[in-house]
Amino acid sequence: MGYIQRRNRRIFLIFLFPVIVALFATTIYPMLYAGWLSFRNYDLAKPFIPRVFVGWANYAEVLSSGPFLHALITTFKLMAITLSVQLVLGVGIALLVTQKLRGMGLVRTLLLIPMMISPVIVGLVWLFLYFPELGYLNYFLSLIGLGPVSWITSTDWALLAIAIADIWQWTPFVMMGTAAALQSLSPEPYEAARIDGNSRWDVFSRVTLPQLKPVLVSLMFLRAIDAFKIYDIIFVLTKGGPADSTEVISLYIYRQSFTFWRMGVGAAASFVSLIIISVLITLFFKSLQRGQASKG
Amino acid sequence: MDKPSTRQAILVYTLLAIILIVFMMPIYLIVSSSVKPSPIMFQKPPAFIFPVTWEHYVDLFTMRPFAKFIMNSLIVALGSTAFSVFMGSLGAYAISRIRHKRINDVAFWILSMRMFPPIAVVVPYYIIFKTVGLLDTPLALIIVYSTANIPLTVWLMKGFFDEVPTALEEAASVDGYGLVETFWRITLPLAAPGLAVSAVFCFIFSWNEFLFALMLTGSEAQTATVAVMSFWSSDAVQWGRIMAGSFIILIPGVIFVLTCQRWLVRGLTMGSVK
Amino acid sequence: MSAITLRNVVKRYGAVQVVHGVDLTIDEGEFVVLLGPSGCGKTTTLRMVAGLEDVSEGELSIGGRVVNNLAPKDRGVAMVFQNYALYPHMTVRQNMEFALRPMKLEKSVVDKRIADTAEILGLSPLMERRPAQLSGGQRQRVAMGRAMVRTPKVFLFDEPLSNLDAKLRTQVRWEIGKLHQRLGTTVLYVTHDQVEAMTLADKIVIMRDGYVEQVGTPEEVFAHPKTTFVATFIGSPAMNMIDGRIESGRMVAEGISFAIPARYHVSEGQAVTLGIRPSEIKIAASDDAGALDARVEVTEYLGNEALLDLRIGRHEMVAEVPAADRVEPGRTIRVRFNEAALHLFDAQTGKTLAL
Repeated sequence: MGYIQRRNRRIFLIFLFPVIVALFATTIYPMLYAGWLSFRNYDLAKPFIPRVFVGWANYAEVLSSGPFLHALITTFKLMAITLSVQLVLGVGIALLVTQKLRGMGLVRTLLLIPMMISPVIVGLVWLFLYFPELGYLNYFLSLIGLGPVSWITSTDWALLAIAIADIWQWTPFVMMGTAAALQSLSPEPYEAARIDGNSRWDVFSRVTLPQLKPVLVSLMFLRAIDAFKIYDIIFVLTKGGPADSTEVISLYIYRQSFTFWRMGVGAAASFVSLIIISVLITLFFKSLQRGQASKG
Repeated sequence: MDKPSTRQAILVYTLLAIILIVFMMPIYLIVSSSVKPSPIMFQKPPAFIFPVTWEHYVDLFTMRPFAKFIMNSLIVALGSTAFSVFMGSLGAYAISRIRHKRINDVAFWILSMRMFPPIAVVVPYYIIFKTVGLLDTPLALIIVYSTANIPLTVWLMKGFFDEVPTALEEAASVDGYGLVETFWRITLPLAAPGLAVSAVFCFIFSWNEFLFALMLTGSEAQTATVAVMSFWSSDAVQWGRIMAGSFIILIPGVIFVLTCQRWLVRGLTMGSVK
Repeated sequence: MSAITLRNVVKRYGAVQVVHGVDLTIDEGEFVVLLGPSGCGKTTTLRMVAGLEDVSEGELSIGGRVVNNLAPKDRGVAMVFQNYALYPHMTVRQNMEFALRPMKLEKSVVDKRIADTAEILGLSPLMERRPAQLSGGQRQRVAMGRAMVRTPKVFLFDEPLSNLDAKLRTQVRWEIGKLHQRLGTTVLYVTHDQVEAMTLADKIVIMRDGYVEQVGTPEEVFAHPKTTFVATFIGSPAMNMIDGRIESGRMVAEGISFAIPARYHVSEGQAVTLGIRPSEIKIAASDDAGALDARVEVTEYLGNEALLDLRIGRHEMVAEVPAADRVEPGRTIRVRFNEAALHLFDAQTGKTLAL
């Protein structure tokens, strides 16, 4: 065997193989375990019932039951609200902070802080703001003649309250990615458009936006994948309530597993959510590869 | 794009001022509430000037072993960071250098491991760790966090390794160095900034994590995020202590943003935006 | 014993073959240049010798030992890379030390070798600098120094001058030649620049599309090109080529005809290509009966010489004449081909018809 071939084989064995094994053991194995559980009657609240094989019963329960579908709809509803607001707001702020003005670097740095904060802390500080009777948010709103709003105690507002906290934390992410992309754009098309006498809006919608599209698509996919997993903020703010109005997939699984101790049902729901997220991830990778291919 | 006119500049600054006030307000609240006396915690209008008190911080460390929880967070975060950066660099190097039509699939498979919802695997983790006696130990969290941190490191480091010219490795191999030595003496030192960035991201992720820490630890290995949450009990919410604890927890992230924001884009988008 | 031998060496990437059975013998101390356009397989061949690419088929030996499956480090070669491949995180001295470390020499020997090499290459004042603090020419010399300290059996150069500006290139080329004379080490050198090849080589190997077209001294490949490719690739400006046919013992091409020099073997009716170097087209007296009419289309003044773009019959040709003899464009002159310097090739195969 040639040296380069031997070397490549050794790169695989020494460098890649251990990582694959480690990830297999720590990720795939638990997933398979979840798969195994999902076919059992694994009820920790009733330890006297034997943990027998129950076939597709758990799946049947999950998929036919109202709460799971409700959780699924809630998840996508929340995703739709947060993603659209983050997109518009993030691009808007990115356009502002990429102006050639003094102090933009500092503004951008400050705006990045929310992303680096633990979601639990985000949940807690918004809880502080939303807190019934005491919270400052209603006070601020009353100053401009609005409110008061029962942020986390009313089924009308709770999901929006969660969305606002998520928007606060992750709009900077869209802003940051867009600003980076904006600054890497070649200035020539702008100069050409200016010479041709196009309006600002024309330049933005016809020149800037099409060039930003691949980056925006990536950013939105990453946000969507994260939004599907949202847990911490809701756990802190509403625990899924009031009246299940903010119970997303993660909360549903949590409640099945750790409130009702029905591990089998929780595992079945987990598996369904794994399949849904897999679709999202696959779409994202496809778009990434297309992006790479078009870059040549 | 050219320089905005004075009128446009005023407009931009005004809008940004409003945006900054809105986005910084929660952070201001954390900082100010952590040193505000409890009686005026919710006073309206909010007092911007008030007698600073350290009682919440004192309470935080005396009423509960918060120092121990911070220690736990540190052990878990540093442990997972070290392991993940080591493993991730190895994998990244292989993916960067192996020319094979399936290598992209392997890379995407690794990345997908980071994207799955943690809640879906928390039950199996719980049962597995219980069986092997790792429940409520830092090691359990180190393992779990590494499943997210290794993929992140792989993708970040791949970008950095791609930028090290292969000619340097070829020169070293003609000069008499083997595969591992070349990696250790040439490639890795040249990708050192990537190691730093990966390490910081792994650290922050582990430090901030809540769900697994809540499920897989009890009183022994509890981390700071879980501990802070526990001040929120139904009978009496200890806002002062919560804010003091929150402030301590957000310090590493803020330091990171202030010191190396130019790497943030790459890290948070896992290399898909540079 | 030869320093390097390639016997039917083939390189394949999957189904694509990029080097087709190269045979080559390089003697001890010889300076051999692999010359050809980009994509001709010359760099791949060099990299196979270095051990940076596996040999797909055939046999490669260095110093009488088959090295097909040996690691680069066990082949006793040193290489200068196109972009120099200096370790950017090490100083010049550390770059050289790093190249010597695997040899496990005594510290005093290492220091002496580095000092000697630095002296020869004029690097002594730069030893504590890093590559980023050096100019292109200096980096080039460090790359050579790093290869030299190891006192290898064979030096490999991969387009070492391609990143230098024209003036520096001439100077470094001269230095490389001088170094080779001084050290006497075998050199295998890849370039696409014929001037480098002609000035440096003991032996030139001209490659095209993965095949060796011709191996020979600079004089041989210039005076006796074996193929039309070599004929047009070597020499500047390029050799003029005319397609024609053999009719009653003469080469005839629309409007012109020539007697066939005795050293060519042709058969009646054969399609041939005639080659004539621009310098072998002479301006003739206006009453020269054997001369041809040529209309001057463009004149390029080069200092000592001038290039005339000529239209002779239906053929476009370039002539190189003394600058003093240059002619205004648009005029028609009489020219004569130096028949002793004609080259004849088979039009189908492109191979020389010389006996």
